[in-house]
Amino acid sequence: MQTKLLHFHRKNILTFVMLMVFIGSLFFVDWGKNLFHSGGLSTLAQMIQGLFQPDLSPEILQLALVSTWRTLAYAVAGMTLALILGVVLGVLSSGILMSDKGIGRFLSKSIFRGLLGFMRAIHELVWAWLFVAASGLTPFAAIFAIAIPYGGILGRIFADMLNEVSSQPLNALRSSGATRMQQLIYGYIPFAAPDLMSYVFYRFECAIRSSAIMSFVGLGGLGFQIQLSLQDLKYDEVWTFLFFLIGIVVIVDVWSQMVRKRLVA
Amino acid sequence: MKHRKFKIGFVRGSFFVALLLMVASWSFIFTVEGADFFGLFSEKNRQYTLEFLQNMLGVNAETPAFTSLESWKTAAKLSFDTLVMSIMAVGFATIGMILTVIPAARTAANGTLTLKKTWYGWIIYGIIRVFYIFSRAIPELIWAMMIIFIFKPGILPGAIALALHNFGILGKLCAETIEDIDLRPIRSLASSGAKKSQIFLYGLFPTVFSKFITYIVYRWEVIIRTTVVVGFVGAGGLGHQFKLSMSWFHYTEVTLFLFCYLILVLLVDLISEGMRRITR
Repeated sequence: MQTKLLHFHRKNILTFVMLMVFIGSLFFVDWGKNLFHSGGLSTLAQMIQGLFQPDLSPEILQLALVSTWRTLAYAVAGMTLALILGVVLGVLSSGILMSDKGIGRFLSKSIFRGLLGFMRAIHELVWAWLFVAASGLTPFAAIFAIAIPYGGILGRIFADMLNEVSSQPLNALRSSGATRMQQLIYGYIPFAAPDLMSYVFYRFECAIRSSAIMSFVGLGGLGFQIQLSLQDLKYDEVWTFLFFLIGIVVIVDVWSQMVRKRLVA
Repeated sequence: MKHRKFKIGFVRGSFFVALLLMVASWSFIFTVEGADFFGLFSEKNRQYTLEFLQNMLGVNAETPAFTSLESWKTAAKLSFDTLVMSIMAVGFATIGMILTVIPAARTAANGTLTLKKTWYGWIIYGIIRVFYIFSRAIPELIWAMMIIFIFKPGILPGAIALALHNFGILGKLCAETIEDIDLRPIRSLASSGAKKSQIFLYGLFPTVFSKFITYIVYRWEVIIRTTVVVGFVGAGGLGHQFKLSMSWFHYTEVTLFLFCYLILVLLVDLISEGMRRITR
């Protein structure tokens, strides 16, 4: 009873602290007249007007369609590499290929976990920037920039899934003399694959958004067009491209939900 | 039996569609885009990469940024700004979510949650859900690009852009949590004569609290990683200086800021892990 009460108090204290920290953070903003640009509010009005009257001329629609495909293609290509990276590094960082005892498992676990952590700690756009600085504007900069952080996330999740595979079928395999590699192929992977696939589908939606913003470092796609239209102050065009982006994200979202429902159920 | 068949069929079909998409995307990239994979490993690119890495590490630089105290001070100040920005962002997103989440739950719209069915329940549900989809589907960076036209550069526009994107995500996750809760305690509260406010206070919030905190903290972890990105378009913090240093070719400063950014990410991960442990 006492511990339960304490638990309740801890939650209240946590909420209180969070609220205070948030209120404290507001004091770091200069809330005076310097908040808005001189024409800021009329810009806002124009943006809202553009939302209800997007530019639907054939040229813009065609451009939007092409850019949408490019965004999608980069996302798919990046995701393909991320899946490969994730599976390979995930298996290595779960340590299941090493014997249960000994330094090998520990080393393989800690080294590859660290690597995966580093891969996902840096945002995809920062990766893109580094790649563009190092190798110029090629589609590979966008693809690798998606593949590395997403590979890091997938690898981490996959490693966790592999470690959670129930031990009974594995013991059966082991007692019939399967090697580590055979255990992986016939024991671990068949069990973890549906969950991994459903997670990949979930991440695919995020990859599309990431791919759309790759344009910011100069790589084509929807974000590039949005940026150009914003610079021309053509907010109606901006919204046309945004509607295409929202459309494709929603389609992939619905698709991945349908797949996930059937895979994990 | 038939249902089962459809289940497998749909997954298999999706798998083939995904495979087709992969083939189409890669061939598009190699043919139309003319990407040259092996060209990446040319002598010239190797030279560029090497030079770039050397610059980052401060080889040949007279005074690398990470050896001067002054740069460290600037970086620390910027890191603090970035942290404040992330806290504000998560706060705004949470406020928006709490204000809208109850009518956005399907159980509230059809009247099983509040035990009162209203004619406008589904309309409000639809409107809020459309808002969620809208704010979620547009990436933070694009929100930031637009908001920077309205606000003067600083941490506030960055926080608002981050909050707009995360509002939709938090709203969706939390509304689903409310849809999934056990309705029996709420019914028993209602049948013993609790008022609506009492139902929310004693029936709803204790059940969803831990889940909500988990989601909020999880989004905070994502937000701190993204602060650097909204900074690129002029919304203060580490990202803004990162971009400026990059365009001035002050590569050692870039390294310093990247380092601070990694530390910040690590710090937030640690704090959030602790918070999750508390609520568990």
